[in-house]
Amino acid sequence: MVDLATILAGFADAFTLWNLLFVLFGVVVGQFVGAVPGIGPVMAMAIAIPFTFGLDPLPAIAFLVGVNKGGLVGGAVPAVLMNTPGTPDAAATAMDGYPLARDGKPLKATKMALFSSVTGDTFSDLVLITVSAPLAVLALRMGPVEVFALMIFAFAVLSGLIGNSLIKGVIAAALGLLCAMIGSDPENYTPRLLFGYWELFDGLPLASVAIGMLAISEILRRLSQIQGEMKGAIEVRDTGDPNDRRVTWAEYWACRFTMLRGAVIGTILGALPGIGSTAAAFMSYATAKSTSKEPETFGKGNLHGIAAAESANSAVVGSNLIPLLTLGIPGSVGAALIISAFMIHGIQPGPLLFQDQGRLIYGLFGAMIMANILNLWVGQAGLRFWVKVVSAPESIIFASALLLCIVGVSMATGGIFGVAVMLIFAGLGYLMTSYGYSVVIFIISFFLGPRFEVSLSQSLALMNGDWTQIVNYPIALILFVLAAVTTAWFLSRRTPEDPGASVSIED
Amino acid sequence: MKFGLKLAGALAGAVLALASAVNAEEWKPSGTLKLQIGFGAGGSTDTIGRVIAKVMKDQTGWNIIAENKTGGGGVAMFTGISKMPPRGTVIGLGVNMPIMVNLVKRGDQLPFDLNSFDYLGTASRAQLALIARADAPFNTLAEMVEHSKENDGLAIGFGAPPQKLLMEVVNREADAGFRFVSTKGEAETQKLLLGGQVMAGFSSGTHIKYLESGDFKMIAVANDARHDYSPETPTVRESGYGAYVDPYYFFATTAGTDPAALAALTQALDNAINSDEVAKVIQNAAVSNPLNLGPEGTKKMMFDGVENVKVLFGE
Repeated sequence: MVDLATILAGFADAFTLWNLLFVLFGVVVGQFVGAVPGIGPVMAMAIAIPFTFGLDPLPAIAFLVGVNKGGLVGGAVPAVLMNTPGTPDAAATAMDGYPLARDGKPLKATKMALFSSVTGDTFSDLVLITVSAPLAVLALRMGPVEVFALMIFAFAVLSGLIGNSLIKGVIAAALGLLCAMIGSDPENYTPRLLFGYWELFDGLPLASVAIGMLAISEILRRLSQIQGEMKGAIEVRDTGDPNDRRVTWAEYWACRFTMLRGAVIGTILGALPGIGSTAAAFMSYATAKSTSKEPETFGKGNLHGIAAAESANSAVVGSNLIPLLTLGIPGSVGAALIISAFMIHGIQPGPLLFQDQGRLIYGLFGAMIMANILNLWVGQAGLRFWVKVVSAPESIIFASALLLCIVGVSMATGGIFGVAVMLIFAGLGYLMTSYGYSVVIFIISFFLGPRFEVSLSQSLALMNGDWTQIVNYPIALILFVLAAVTTAWFLSRRTPEDPGASVSIED
Repeated sequence: MKFGLKLAGALAGAVLALASAVNAEEWKPSGTLKLQIGFGAGGSTDTIGRVIAKVMKDQTGWNIIAENKTGGGGVAMFTGISKMPPRGTVIGLGVNMPIMVNLVKRGDQLPFDLNSFDYLGTASRAQLALIARADAPFNTLAEMVEHSKENDGLAIGFGAPPQKLLMEVVNREADAGFRFVSTKGEAETQKLLLGGQVMAGFSSGTHIKYLESGDFKMIAVANDARHDYSPETPTVRESGYGAYVDPYYFFATTAGTDPAALAALTQALDNAINSDEVAKVIQNAAVSNPLNLGPEGTKKMMFDGVENVKVLFGE
């Protein structure tokens, strides 16, 4: 166990001016790259890692954590202001954020996103700092069979997002799973659906599919609607009511249970490697909507929708560090990059980390808390800036966003192939939205697909192909039953003629 | 006469060597030199590649950028490199095993073979080990096979095809009945080991901390030579099975590149690999030591390695 003196020394390290400057720098860089369509914090971290080699471990890792946290706040900005989320987890934020921004309240929407993001993040950081060791032991108990059952449960909760037509929702989900199969099978690494393109061996590039379907298709739609008149991409209407430009304490407090639930969902999913922030954001959103007294207002600018999505996807980041620090297992690409930064400095995350590097770890915890505070502070200033930027004529805004997405994806995927994939999926996304198929359902099943398949093959190997052995896995059984009950409940609440039941990105 | 020929040959060789040494001094990439990495951001290959690119840039003053070209464990990247004109402006960093496995398994579908490249050197050799939880009821590969036979099979976690192939050799030769659980890499394999879902698994270095903490133990070494941190653990070959897995990080560029460019690139890479900064990163990120086989050694390693992979497939 780490003694108190080490903990205090660690926190003291975090609060030196030098280290705080690196956290601040990281947050500023993260918010910027998060908000610019197509780039994102993961790529910024990958580029920055070799340059952190010359730094001491604490400022280096604090900087990267700052980029990661800043990126989450920044990522909500294009989703809310332009309906062009760069990552699928921000797509959940766009569902209520964009309608509110379109109503002339972009500052209110982005501020709600900022506040709930920082709230969820701080919650999971506190969980990480206080109870990471017992949670890590619990995470170890979740073997492949339990994770498989959890994913079935996640899909069941997501059925709450299926819109007017059940069959269209199922088709979108099946299409997502089909696209997730492109690449190689996890068992024997046999190429699958490659059509001669070896670039596809590891599957379709995630960045291309996400940005193509979510951002580019929306940009194309908006560009096609421009009719020669000059108008801003977003209009900040001056209603004379200052409450339209800010989030009041009463509004924030009213969302406390939504945010708490989102933070808990995000923290649990973040502690289990491989499921990720997208599922967390949508599960939180679906739960908030179905437990709300007025579910028909979701998708039309309900603050609870923003709070649910942002608190959950931000909570994943803190608890992602639970398996990372205690077991050395990264829960996401961002976490994998933080591991490689640790390893460049000769520090191996894992069983002896708290003993060997207790002071550094508590320094990192201090830096994370500071990053949350700085995120709030930088965000307040940054949001005004972005709202101003997006008030520029839409012909300029959407054309530049298109260019940035192309540049970003070509950098992230290492060439023009990724851009071609992005454009193909932009076309597919445009068609799907036009014909009423939910792009969001497609993206979620595409993202969960590979992990789903690996868990299935792992479970089959462990049970020797005999499903009756499932009785030896009580947690999995419980999750299966919960999944069945949830699906039945969601589908019984769904009324086909109720337009509010549709939460496709179009709405 | 013969002596005269030999002398002439030696002289000519010396002149050529001198000339290429001079050229190596003079040659520099026209524009930007790209170091392509065949794996995604965040892994050990990516970390090593990015730091080597940075050190090379510092040492030579050339403009070098590192970029990830993922797909098939380097197959996509080397496909691209094999099709480029040989200008000496793009080098690839890959791992030998996935390339060899694909060449043996589906060489007819690949647009390249081993002769499509000029080899520049290696950065290191990964130390791959078969590990188990410290409380597992076996200590050696032979005991593990026995345990598996007595208990209707035993689950092994693997993160890459060669690891599974190696254990399939044991299955074929000893009828061990191992079952294979595919994971997304050694971190996940270790999670399954710690959680008790699998009984054994593969790891290339990150397990050393767990050996110290007393959570894991070594069962066998997958490489052809024992590991320096655990000299008492025998290799799979020493345990009586005729196969091994030797993963190397290697550099190659398009075949037919100007010899002056090759000499300059080889030298620049060698200087970077032998720097303290890179040595430290390799020790930290790959838990191994820098090891540059040089152009000829790398080529030999690749050609011999393909023969070994055929053994893995039982061909």
